[in-house]
Amino acid sequence: MSAETLWNGLREILSEEGQINTNPDDLYDAAADRYKKYAKARNVLDVPTPLAIVYPKSVEEISKLMRFCNENLINVIPRGGKTATEGGLENWKETTIVIDAELLNQIIKIDEYNMQATVQAGVPLQTLEDELRKVGLTTGHSPQSKPVAKYGGLVATRSIGQFSTLYGGIEDMVVGLECVFPDGHVARIKNVSRRAGGPDIRHIPIGNEGTLCYITEVTVKVFRYYPENNRFFGYLVKDIETGVSVLREVMASGYRPSVARVYSEEDARQHFYHFYQDHCVLIFMAEGNKGIVEATAKGIEEAVEKYQEGIIEQVDSTLIEDWFNHLNWSQQDIDDEIEGMIENDSHAGFTTEISADWETIPKIYYNVMSRIRNEFPRAHDLTMLGGHSSHSYINGTNMYFVYNYSIHCAPEDEMRIYHHPLQTIIVEETLKLGGSMCHHHGIGKYRNEWTKEEHGSAYYMLEKLKEAFDPNGIMNFGTIFPQEEGIKYQK
Amino acid sequence: MKIICLIKFVPDVENFKYDYERNVLIRENVRMILNPDDACSVAFVLKIKEQHPDTVIELVTMAPQSIIPQLEDLLRLGVDHASLISDKAYVGSDTYVTSRILGRYLSEATFDCILTGTHTLDGDTSHVPAQIAELLGLSQLSNVVEIDEAAFCHESAVVMVDEELSYGKYEIPLPAVISLRKDRKYKLPYIKYAELSRDVKDRIQIIDNAQLGLATEQIGIGGSLTQISSTFVKSMEKKERRIVRNDEEGIDLVYSFLKERGFV
Repeated sequence: MSAETLWNGLREILSEEGQINTNPDDLYDAAADRYKKYAKARNVLDVPTPLAIVYPKSVEEISKLMRFCNENLINVIPRGGKTATEGGLENWKETTIVIDAELLNQIIKIDEYNMQATVQAGVPLQTLEDELRKVGLTTGHSPQSKPVAKYGGLVATRSIGQFSTLYGGIEDMVVGLECVFPDGHVARIKNVSRRAGGPDIRHIPIGNEGTLCYITEVTVKVFRYYPENNRFFGYLVKDIETGVSVLREVMASGYRPSVARVYSEEDARQHFYHFYQDHCVLIFMAEGNKGIVEATAKGIEEAVEKYQEGIIEQVDSTLIEDWFNHLNWSQQDIDDEIEGMIENDSHAGFTTEISADWETIPKIYYNVMSRIRNEFPRAHDLTMLGGHSSHSYINGTNMYFVYNYSIHCAPEDEMRIYHHPLQTIIVEETLKLGGSMCHHHGIGKYRNEWTKEEHGSAYYMLEKLKEAFDPNGIMNFGTIFPQEEGIKYQK
Repeated sequence: MKIICLIKFVPDVENFKYDYERNVLIRENVRMILNPDDACSVAFVLKIKEQHPDTVIELVTMAPQSIIPQLEDLLRLGVDHASLISDKAYVGSDTYVTSRILGRYLSEATFDCILTGTHTLDGDTSHVPAQIAELLGLSQLSNVVEIDEAAFCHESAVVMVDEELSYGKYEIPLPAVISLRKDRKYKLPYIKYAELSRDVKDRIQIIDNAQLGLATEQIGIGGSLTQISSTFVKSMEKKERRIVRNDEEGIDLVYSFLKERGFV
């Protein structure tokens, strides 16, 4: 299909001024996400640009758009706040449109009595949070991208926030939603407190990364907000294993601090250089009503006491509180990083997040560190290599590997020389020991080569979902599901 | 034509983190990088080699062997070979002893020109290029910001020198020691993807004191007569960073900023 024919087709569906964007700069921006942030900033992206970005105003328009694309085999990339980090928003097809949720920006209802809120897909998380705070409530969801991320994207990528240990991931918050499939069918999953009506179909759209359907509306749980009760705890610990043991003790004892983290020495250096003293750092935040906070604080102190041999010293809690208050990255931070990447041969680094059970996490951590230091051919360019556990559960935790390097290659080669080989080591070591290669960023397009290994025999179910809901393969080509045609962009 | 680039690997002090509360440098995790002025000299000779492929480039550096990966990257850019002067006995050498060690090697080497940087990020004394020139009996020019590529030949080089209040153009007979200062026009190229894994180890020669034959009492801390009376950490002020748009407000802000400081 020619670009002109496509634009004409779009004009028949979206009649209002400004609903179809073909500005070359915006299309270039839409060709990739933060995975190729450096190549993008240096203007050397190697992927095709989409032919249009469209801004539908209603579910009816989305339904028509999806049908049009399905009938004409046009690749569709659903887009929210543009904070994707794994290539989920990158384009691999010549004939592609991006459906942006910008105009789906209404908070439909804040239901204080039933403790739930309904929003359209393009509502920024921060906007809902600000509205809820006015009535003493919170979303309980606070990813670093909170000031920028939007609800459609948060749900589509199985987002998680910094207070997840108390409130859960987005999958624990979504009570119902509305989504549109490639054939134009609009599905509404009703909002109830629990159900046993067959498999939980919320989990088809949640985490689909735009490969099965377009999420248009979401209803999430909301929580009472007690900031006056917050308590912070910080400790220097002798190694990451000790920190993980304390986290486990707190979780296994049934406590749910909103924040429970341990940082390796290297990672602690970049966050807590003013007090870390070359040690790992363990931090907690107890949140909620007074009784829960008191009990949680006691539980944390008991767990720390149990592992006191590995505790070097307690840190002033105001240092932890202050650090937390400056953790989120805003649009300004993102813009500043782009400016920096244009001016210098450097960026702010990359991360890869994995998860596993308690006993496996330290093994993965040490195996990864050892392999990178011994096998990664550009190890001498690493300026930072470390990790932290930041989301814990009754049976295990995550590990957020963090790394940066000085770049000694052309911007277009950076990912295949640095980030991808590093990510490969992390993913291989995780899968080898039975962990999950993606804790909360989603698979995107650059971990799809391991999707089958990640799911094993259960990949059958994923594959069948794709065949059933997107038989023409128009939804976000290359994301989650490996595609031979995309290998040229990966390696 | 054979050109020797005398280079130094230095701590990346420009990218030190600074603790503004305690007013101290955060020294942990500081990497070694090619001194920026020296990188300009390598960038210049690579340009010359591109125009005249028969140009031979040798890098000479005094450093620990841990910098070999960085040297290999420079070889992958098109440098022909590197001489790494490395010996534990050299640790603690002051600038004079360093010049003596490098001068000993260079006195036996063949070359048409020696290029160096003017300043180093770590020491910043600018002693070494001039001292080496003295030891070799060559002319030397510092603060060179541009070398005329077209006029660069066996006999002479035409250079532009920053003389603080003005620029001076000089023709210097070769061989000589020409010391460049960091400038935007000389930037090292990127290593090509296919070159990154190329094995270039056989193009590095490691030279120790047994080969140079300097007396033990002339080298290292023992041979260094320089006495440092005191050192200090430069205090820094955190500058506010503001990004503005290309609109009326942004233009006004930039204009006022420049006016305040007397630039307009």
